[in-house]
Amino acid sequence: MTKRKLLAGLGLGLVTALALSGCSAPAGDGKVTLQLVESLTSPARTELLTKLIGEFEAQNPDINVDLISPPTDQADQKIQQMLQSGSGVDVLEVRDLTVGPFSANGWLSDMTGEFDGWDGWDSLTPNAQSVATAGGKMYFVPYGFYGISLFYRTDMVKDAGFDGAPVSWDDIVEQATAIQDPAANQYGYAFRGGKNGYTNAVLAISAYVAGDIDVTNAYRLKNGDSIFSAPEALDAMDTYLTLFKQASPPSSVAWGYPEMVEGFTNGSTGFLLQDPEVIAAVSESKAITAEQWNTAPMLVGPSGKAIQPLATAGWGTAEASEHKAESARLIQFLNSGDASIEFTQKNSLVPILTGAADDPFYKTGAWASYLYMNENPDVYITAEQPRGVAWFTEWADKADTELQQVLIGQMTSKELLASWDSYWAEKWAAE
Amino acid sequence: MSRHTTTATGRPFTRAGAPSVSPQKTTRRRSFSTRRGLVIAAFMAPAAVFVAVFTYYPMLAGSQMAFRNWNLNNLTNTDWVGLGNFQKIFADPNFYVILGNSVVWVVASIIPQFIIGFALALWLRRKFVFRGLYQALIFFPWAISGFLIGILFRWMFNGEFGVINDLLSKAGLIDAPIPWLAEPGTAMTAVIIANTWYGVTFFAIMILAALQSVPDDVYEAAALDGSGKIRTLFSITIPYISTTLALTVLLRVIWIFNFPDIIWAMTGGGPANQTHIITTWMIAITQRGDYGQASALGLIVVAILLVFSAFYLMAIREKKGARS
Amino acid sequence: MINREMPAAKVVRIVFLGLWLVISLFPLYWILITSFKTPGAIFSYPLTYWPEVFSLENYISLFQKSSFGTYVFNSLLVATVAATVATFISMLSAYVLARFEFRSKGAVLMAFLVTQMIPAFIALGPLYLMMVQLKLVDNRFGLMLIYIAVCIPFSTIMLRGFFANIPDALEEAAMIDGCSRFGALFRVIIPVMKPGIIAAFIFNFVNCWNELFLSVTLMNKDENKTIPTALNGFISSFTIDWGSMSAAAVLTIVPTMILFAFASRYIVQGLTAGAVKG
Repeated sequence: MTKRKLLAGLGLGLVTALALSGCSAPAGDGKVTLQLVESLTSPARTELLTKLIGEFEAQNPDINVDLISPPTDQADQKIQQMLQSGSGVDVLEVRDLTVGPFSANGWLSDMTGEFDGWDGWDSLTPNAQSVATAGGKMYFVPYGFYGISLFYRTDMVKDAGFDGAPVSWDDIVEQATAIQDPAANQYGYAFRGGKNGYTNAVLAISAYVAGDIDVTNAYRLKNGDSIFSAPEALDAMDTYLTLFKQASPPSSVAWGYPEMVEGFTNGSTGFLLQDPEVIAAVSESKAITAEQWNTAPMLVGPSGKAIQPLATAGWGTAEASEHKAESARLIQFLNSGDASIEFTQKNSLVPILTGAADDPFYKTGAWASYLYMNENPDVYITAEQPRGVAWFTEWADKADTELQQVLIGQMTSKELLASWDSYWAEKWAAE
Repeated sequence: MSRHTTTATGRPFTRAGAPSVSPQKTTRRRSFSTRRGLVIAAFMAPAAVFVAVFTYYPMLAGSQMAFRNWNLNNLTNTDWVGLGNFQKIFADPNFYVILGNSVVWVVASIIPQFIIGFALALWLRRKFVFRGLYQALIFFPWAISGFLIGILFRWMFNGEFGVINDLLSKAGLIDAPIPWLAEPGTAMTAVIIANTWYGVTFFAIMILAALQSVPDDVYEAAALDGSGKIRTLFSITIPYISTTLALTVLLRVIWIFNFPDIIWAMTGGGPANQTHIITTWMIAITQRGDYGQASALGLIVVAILLVFSAFYLMAIREKKGARS
Repeated sequence: MINREMPAAKVVRIVFLGLWLVISLFPLYWILITSFKTPGAIFSYPLTYWPEVFSLENYISLFQKSSFGTYVFNSLLVATVAATVATFISMLSAYVLARFEFRSKGAVLMAFLVTQMIPAFIALGPLYLMMVQLKLVDNRFGLMLIYIAVCIPFSTIMLRGFFANIPDALEEAAMIDGCSRFGALFRVIIPVMKPGIIAAFIFNFVNCWNELFLSVTLMNKDENKTIPTALNGFISSFTIDWGSMSAAAVLTIVPTMILFAFASRYIVQGLTAGAVKG
């Protein structure tokens, strides 16, 4: 009967195809193939990584590297599946946000042994070394740091009658309010109310309590309470909300990263607090010329200090990897010498190699403010963000939602701070 | 009458035009009724195998997360917690707000989709110049993925640089730009507009395809009776394709309920949870790693939709029974 | 045939159809002109509704920077095969579900309906493990298998509705003429069902064509990626590459539009009155 034959044929076809695809030829030439998975994927960065991998393969003819580049938004989920199944990944991008959960689940290999005696170790900055060995285990080696600075429109500031970039949060409220002119589609500050909007609110709060902060945990005061409990936190929130009401685009309640950056690069907002990656985006903008913008150090609080929330990411090895030694070689290659310099410069990262910041690249133009902050560590205090805790993503979600509630008038800033304070107090008490 | 002839009921054509069962045929049926089981099994097997292996097995295996402490942030302790994840959800006041949002989202999206889709389908039956081209052009929203639509509309609805405000103010309809995605009411409106824009095509195609099965002689008979167009529509056309209509609506309800893409890309559920529906909330929960709670939420979605489907199908059956 | 239209009704119809055309097309137009703008002009303000210069830069860089051609090929291959097989398999199951009464029928239909209700992420972990064991990760054939399974329930439910619309008389006549049930299905019913089958195929194709979640999870190497993965790749955590994304979106929409243009003719013309009158 026709249908039987058809079905039988279909079944046979399936089985054959299964069998055929089941024997994907293992490399018989003794070569080791490493699977490298990135998570903060972008087309330009993938291109750069491919090039660096090519150089690595040329130097290490016995190693093949397959680069896997899932889209950023889906990357973490994919990586989690891979790690959970224990297959398909040797080297992976590990971030300060993911190192905690990944290592708690036993997915990451402690690379201390593989890195023992690595000649590149001494050229890492103290910051990079301390991140790499945090907690006594080497779960990842950072490839760079993300810091924040203030992007501002020199022409708008000047036209509004000011002779320089704002230094403090009070300054920016004043300047941005003067710049704001909705009728002309000109706004003061590229406010972040959408995804991860809480980070900038925390930035303002930290600046107001900068002197009392515990540098090993940027959410904690030296007296053990959370930064949200300090009376200054309320002043910070009031200033921050004034900035939103008086000097920001009304729809910025919903603005996430792309809107903010676009708002600045299309020439309609005067100020933007952001990571250095934005430098590349702004430089490419045709709406504003190089003379129209610059960066300034972070905004300080009333005490004249600010907290620099250094964020980081790097490379780690999966516990399930069968090629840990080769994986370590790849990571060592990426995190040393010219490869590292090229990677940090092209991705606008604060470098991990000592002396790399002496490169003229970091002394010119927009990078100068980062250098300035680096040289004044007493004013721009580097404090470790508690991003490794298991509940950090839960916190981010809660904080974003509640900040939006304040912005649309469903909650007061006092209630917000009380809620944030009790959240962290409870978590710390349970630790 | 043997049991398998009872399926095709409720349509005027069959009732009016089906030939009476001849004795010869009855014998014939009985003779191969022993083979009936084989035919059913053979025709059903491929579908059943695929769905069982690649859909049901992983889904059932995965649903156990709903009853465990399954948090990606720490998988060292994945103990059974019984209904603990469900209790956590029902204790969260956000759940009820979000449930309400989901209902608004489904109802307010499906009504305009259905009406516009139906009208398009009816009017596309009539021949006109470039009809083929017209159809191809208006069907295109369905060809775009939900996430892309979300991103596109997020920018079109942007308060300051968005093209929608620009057009509205050029047309003199608004004085000041509307911060669409920044306010609860307008944000919900915006995501529903995007979803409507996207979903009309589905109804138009489904209904158009169904309308093709209405034989012309049914219309001819109605025209002879002197029925007006509107009456023909309600007394002939709609009943004739009612099975398809009912299923299309049911499927759409299920899909829209389960369709986080547009909202997730446009608002991420904001501002302040005001556009979260259950499935976007679920994404938010998976992103913070709590797969146990997210799976529990997934099963709650299934339960809600199952109950809805059961009532819906019962209501339809009753209505049909009443009519024939 | 259909009785004549009143002038007022005609005006309503034309206005409605015209308006909906504009509404449908505007976002497409917006993607299209964005794809022809130079990267710097995309976010210039005030908005430009017509680019000053039409630039092919975005399209050129799309093919230079990424293996876009490969993604298109993969998507076409996976979506065509999966949609064809799924539509065929669904035709068989839909036919049985429409024409026979059997004890587990209600359960089967419900089981199919439930698959539409369950969020995919619940299944993802076990599915991934299964595909690892079958060595079907990063494999287009593996993705096809899953897509077929994903498409079957919906198209079965949909086709069953269409089968139910076709009078029993038609195939009974054919079976009296000596056709087997399978023969009756193919020679008599399917031609009549063409609009429904083509609609089912289109929906299956479009679903597979746009599927992101499973494709991202199961595909690794660049040479195996499908278009949605590539499209999403233009959104990095830092910015959205609008130029490349619009160009990619335009190229993604084109094949589906051609399919629609081709198929919509069948949807409208497929059913001949004569066949039903039999």
